[in-house]
Amino acid sequence: MRRQDPPWKVVRAFDLPHAGKLVHLHNVSGGVLAGDRLELLVEVEEGAAAQITTTGATRLYRHRAGAEDSEQISRFAVGDGALLEYLPDTVIPYAGSRHRQSTEIRLGRGATLFWWEVLAPGRLAAGERFAFERLRLKTQVYAGPRQILREDFVLEPKGKDLAAAVRMFTYTHVANLCIAQEGRSPALWRALEERLTEIAQKRTRPGQSVWGVSTLTSDGLVVRGLSMTGCFLHQALIEFWNAARLAVIGEVAVPPRKIY
Amino acid sequence: MSKAPAQIAGSRTMHMGEIGLLRLLQLADSALPIGSASHSFGLETLAEERVLTPPDIETFLLAYLEEVGALDAAFVRKAWHSLHLKALSDEMSARKLARDSRDASLKLGRRFAELVNAMVEQPFLENNLHYCIAFGAAGAAFGIPIDAVALAYLNQSITGLVSCCQRLMPLGQVAASRIMWNLKPAIVCASLSEEVSCFSPFLELASMRHQSIETRLFIS
Repeated sequence: MRRQDPPWKVVRAFDLPHAGKLVHLHNVSGGVLAGDRLELLVEVEEGAAAQITTTGATRLYRHRAGAEDSEQISRFAVGDGALLEYLPDTVIPYAGSRHRQSTEIRLGRGATLFWWEVLAPGRLAAGERFAFERLRLKTQVYAGPRQILREDFVLEPKGKDLAAAVRMFTYTHVANLCIAQEGRSPALWRALEERLTEIAQKRTRPGQSVWGVSTLTSDGLVVRGLSMTGCFLHQALIEFWNAARLAVIGEVAVPPRKIY
Repeated sequence: MSKAPAQIAGSRTMHMGEIGLLRLLQLADSALPIGSASHSFGLETLAEERVLTPPDIETFLLAYLEEVGALDAAFVRKAWHSLHLKALSDEMSARKLARDSRDASLKLGRRFAELVNAMVEQPFLENNLHYCIAFGAAGAAFGIPIDAVALAYLNQSITGLVSCCQRLMPLGQVAASRIMWNLKPAIVCASLSEEVSCFSPFLELASMRHQSIETRLFIS
């Protein structure tokens, strides 16, 4: 680790069972405040293995008049033959929050990625449900020079009905798991798509949660889920991750040291 | 998406010659033989699960236009201006997460390009592009104004989805025509989109799960 500035705090690294290190990211301010601009730059060097998680949910606090939208920019460079597992906790946009998130991941030759992301509708226990003002997300994943995943969207619940059947229908939580390894053959991804689709079908309970799997344009695949609750999302993500890890690098998944 | 429909009246949309107008009408005809009637882009899953029923179609397509329609229109516009169509198409492939819909869009683009190239004296259109990109590029090549090209693309796209609904559920011709009629302002709004933004996870999931339907009418 080369540098850390408040409010980021990097908790010391733990050894992983096979190889590599587990690192916890801690936001000591407890959440992302209006006007905050957080930057996370990660380089996983050639042949190295890193598992990165957070110490808790990313709480996006209410917007403050006169402040800029809060922002988090994350950039990951994964070196040749390296492994990145980025497994942050849920993002929770509080009522009245305005936030921009930009994530860019670049994989070198033969580099591997397992990355999940979970978005909640707000503090459900406090009666908040899609009460945030604006959430703008931009995501880019590259395998070598090839852009394999790109998403840009703006959620403004007051302006656009998130319960539309095109968007989230009756569901409240969105989960994504991106699995990629630069240079692997399309045949591997199609076979893995079939395997993970079996899990998705088993996990899908219309009205509670729905899962789907698709190969990306190359070098990887994506698992996407919508759910009425955040309770079982991580259990499902771990099952997908474990099956994919076995298929892609021949090892079982070792979840971060926390209770899901 | 910023201009209200009323502001569009009198714009440069229709400033094209008669031949240009006739060409656009032909290219945007739902009967154009490129196979678009074989694709539902996930609607078949939604109909099968009774999520999409006749009373919901108009509202569903309004949201569709705000998300997928606006994204497609933005790429029609980019293609109209661009010399780097393959790079644009590759970006679109990265944005279309559901393989079924991504493959369908590429397949329609290829068949559209093959058809256009077969109709002109000197073939010019690459055949490895997403449909919206091939359509935008063809519009530019034929000198059709960009607003008209984006409008026509979205109109045929929504016509195709309404037609698909007619085959999936009890939706009569009059009801289908009324839906198309009512959606015109939303088509205009979406056609003006230059901001690339799309949030359609439930529709993407429907597309991802399409292959698991036991009896399918559509390829996607």
